[in-house]
Amino acid sequence: MKKLLGVSFLVLMLIFLAACGDDTSTEEDTESNEDTTSEGDVDSEENGDWEPEQSIEIVAPAGAGGGWDTTARMTAQTLTEEGLIDQSIGVVNEPGGGGAVGWASIANKEGSPYDLFVSSSPILLVPLNGQSEYGHEDFTPIANIIAEYAGFAVREDAEWDTLPELFESMKEDPSEITVVGTSSPGSMDHIQFVRFAKEAGVDITQIKYVSAPDAGGVTQLLNGSADVFSTGVGEVVEQVRSGDVRLLAVTSEERLEGDVLSEIPTAKEQGIDETFVNWRGFFGPPEMDQAAIDYYEAKFKELSDSDAFAEIRDNYNWEEMFMGSEEYEEFLDQEKESFQEILDELDLSEE
Amino acid sequence: MGAVEGILTGFEVALSLEGIMFVLLGVFVGTFIGMLPGLGPISAIAIMIPITYGMNPTLALVMMAGVYYGAVFGGSTSSILLNAPGISGTVATSFDGYPLAQKGQAGKALAIAAISSFVGGTISVVLLMIFAPVLASVAVSFGPPAYFALMLLGLTAIASLSEGSTIKALIAAIVGFMIATIGIDPQTGTGRFTFGSANLLDGIDFLVIALGLFAIAEVCFLVMNRRKKSVTNGKDIGSLKLSKQDAKEISGPAGRQSFLGFILGILPGAGATIASFISYITEKRIAKKPEEFGKGALKGIAAPEASNNAATSGSFVPLLSLGIPGSGTTAVMLGAFLVLGVQPGPMLMGDQPEIFWGIIASMYIGNIFLLILNLPLIPYISRILTVPRPLLISLVIMFSLIGVYAISFSTFDLYLLLAFGVLGFIMRIFAFPAPPFILAFILGGMMEQSFRQAMTSSGGNISVFFTNNISLVLIILSVISFAFPIIRNLRKKKAH
Repeated sequence: MKKLLGVSFLVLMLIFLAACGDDTSTEEDTESNEDTTSEGDVDSEENGDWEPEQSIEIVAPAGAGGGWDTTARMTAQTLTEEGLIDQSIGVVNEPGGGGAVGWASIANKEGSPYDLFVSSSPILLVPLNGQSEYGHEDFTPIANIIAEYAGFAVREDAEWDTLPELFESMKEDPSEITVVGTSSPGSMDHIQFVRFAKEAGVDITQIKYVSAPDAGGVTQLLNGSADVFSTGVGEVVEQVRSGDVRLLAVTSEERLEGDVLSEIPTAKEQGIDETFVNWRGFFGPPEMDQAAIDYYEAKFKELSDSDAFAEIRDNYNWEEMFMGSEEYEEFLDQEKESFQEILDELDLSEE
Repeated sequence: MGAVEGILTGFEVALSLEGIMFVLLGVFVGTFIGMLPGLGPISAIAIMIPITYGMNPTLALVMMAGVYYGAVFGGSTSSILLNAPGISGTVATSFDGYPLAQKGQAGKALAIAAISSFVGGTISVVLLMIFAPVLASVAVSFGPPAYFALMLLGLTAIASLSEGSTIKALIAAIVGFMIATIGIDPQTGTGRFTFGSANLLDGIDFLVIALGLFAIAEVCFLVMNRRKKSVTNGKDIGSLKLSKQDAKEISGPAGRQSFLGFILGILPGAGATIASFISYITEKRIAKKPEEFGKGALKGIAAPEASNNAATSGSFVPLLSLGIPGSGTTAVMLGAFLVLGVQPGPMLMGDQPEIFWGIIASMYIGNIFLLILNLPLIPYISRILTVPRPLLISLVIMFSLIGVYAISFSTFDLYLLLAFGVLGFIMRIFAFPAPPFILAFILGGMMEQSFRQAMTSSGGNISVFFTNNISLVLIILSVISFAFPIIRNLRKKKAH
C-alpha cells in the first residue's frame, strides 16, 4: 500500500510539473480559440471607441528566446504593468518556417481584434523567397515599435578601415572576400549587406555569402573563416567593446547612441547613400476593424513613450522607432519593392 | 582583478546563504524536470525565466545555471528507465542504461549515471575555473573545415554502433542523413523535401526523432509482446551499491570522458550530444570487451553521462566569455541573461566578476547537491517501473507527446512523432539499428553545412581540409578510427 502511495504521488508530481511547463501556451490557446468563435465580433458595435472585453493574445511566430518572442513578451508585460490595457495579454509561440506557420494561422482569424502578432523584415522577405503564401499585405499593420540596425563587422586586424575600402577590394576581386551572416541567402543578413554593396557599385552576383546558423557568424569571423560579418549591431557590440572586432559602418540614418556605438560611422557619412533598418512591430489579422486599429495604435504609442519601455529598450539595445498604422503600411510597401529589386538581380526571387 | 581574487569573489557569492538556497532551488527544479521524458533543459530554463524577473541578477543566474546542468544531470533517468530520452545528450546513455535496467539492475544503472554525472560535472568545473579565461580562443578556433572533420570522426563510429549487420547499420545511417536534409537549406535558402508544407521548412526537430525511434517504438514493442513476462519484475530494482570492481570499471571512462566532454562542449554547435556519442564510441573502441556494449555495460553508461555533464559546463565557456550561444539551450540561457540586463561576452569577466565567477563557483556546490538529491531518490524513482504496464505505456506516450508539443506547439509534429514511432518499430522488427540513424541525423546536418561553408569560402578547393591543422589531425584520427577495427580483426585472425 505504501509503495502504491509513493508511486501515485510521483506520478501526480510528474503530471503537475508537466502541466506547469506547458501552461503558458496551451491554456491561453484554448481560451482564445473559444473566445474568437463565440463572441469575437460582438463588441465591434458601430464605429466609435472600442475597448477589448476579453483577453488578448500576441503570437510570436518563432520559438522562445528570439527577437520576436522577447519583443512580444516585453510588450505584453509593460502594457499590463503600466496599466495601459486592463485585459490580460498572453504570448503564444508558433514557430516554424521562419514565421510562415504562425502567419498562416493568424490569416485564418479574419477580423478578430484579439489576435495580434509581432513581426519584422522576414514578413517581407520570406514571401519573396517563396516560402510563405502570406505577406504583410494580407495583414493589418498596427504600429511599429522598435528598430535595430545592422552593422558590417571585420576582425580587429583587417585591412579595411572604412566601408568604401572594403567595397573597393570587393570590386577588384570578389573571390577573395567571404561574407558571413546568420540567415540564408535572400534573407535579412544577406540582403542588408547586398543593398549597400549595390549602392557602392559592387557586382552583387559575385559576392561570396556563407550562412552560419546558431551564432556561428562571430566564430567564423574571429577564426578567419570569413572576412565580413553582416549582422545586427547588438550581436557584436560586446566584441567591439573588447576590441576583437571592428564595425566598419552601421546602417542607420544617423549615428547610434551609446559608449562604443557613437564612435561607429554610418554608411551615409562614408558616402554610401543607403540605410537599412530592422524594424519590429505589431500586426493584426486581415480585415481588422478600424476602431480596434485606432485603439491599439494609441496604446502602442503610449507604450513607446513610457519610461518603463525606454528601460527595456536600453537593456536589449533596441532603438525607438514608432510608426502608426498608415505610415507603417506605406513604409512596408516601399521596403518590399526595394527587396524585390535586389532579389530579382540576384535571381533569388520566387514571386 | 586577478583570477584568484575572482574565484574568491565567486565563492563568496556561491557560499552565501542566498547563494546556497538559489543553487539548491535551481538544481532541484532542473533535475526534476530533466527526469521527465521529453522535457529537458530548454523547457526547464524557459519555465524558470519568468520567475527571475526583478531578482538580483547574480543570484538569478546562479539559479538558472543550476536549472541547466541539473536538467542534464537528471536527463539520464528517463533514458535508462523508459528508453525515452528527454534531451539529445542522453540518447547514448540509453544504449546501455536501458538494457541494464531491463536486466533488473535499474538501481545500479541510475547510480552509475548519477556518479558519472557528478564526476563529469566536477572535473569540468575545475577545468572551467582554471582555463575559462584562456579557453575562449579554443571556442573560436574551429572553422568550417575543422567542424567537417570532427563530424567525420563521429561518423566513423556508425559501424561500431551496430550489432550484427553492418549493411543494415549503413542503410539506417543513410536514411538518417536524408532526414537531416529536410527543411530550408541555409546555404541557398531553398526548401528541400518540404513538399510545400510550411511545417517542414525548419526541418525536423531532434526530439521528435529520438522520442519516436526510441520511446514510441519501444512502446509498440511492449504492446506487441504483452504476453511475455516483463524482465524487470517490479520489486527488484537491484542494489544501488557498486562493488569495488564496478567502481574500478567506471572510474576510467568517467575520468577520461570528463575531459573529452568538456573540450567538445566548448565548441559551439558540438555540445553535449556529440560529446556523449563520441565518448561512448571511444570507450567502446578501447574496451577490452567491446561486445558487452549495448547489452548493459557499465562503461557504456559512465562514458556518455560523464561526457554530457562535462560538455554542459564546457558550453558555458563560449557563452560567458564570448556571448556566443553554441546550442538551442544556451541560446535560451542567453535570453535569461538579457532579461536580467546582463550581457555575457568578453567584457563580463572584467565588468561583473561576481556574476562570471559566481556562476562557476556555484557549480561545485550545485554538483554536490545534485549527487545528494539524486542518489537517495533512486529507489523511489525506479519504482516507476513497478507501475502496471498499461499505465506505464500510457504515461510514456503522454510525456512524449507533451515533450514534443512543448518545443514546437505544433500538432503537425505530433503526427511526425507517431510516424517516426512506426518507423522505429518497423526498423526494430527487421533488425535495423536505431543508433546509427540518430547519429547520422545529428552529425549529418552540421557536416553538410560545414562542408559547403568551407567549399564556398575556399572557392571549391578541397585542399582546405588538409591545410588547416585541426582539420588535418581530425581527418587522420578518422582514418585511424575507421581502420582500427579492421586491423584488430586481422590480427585476431592471425593469432588463431
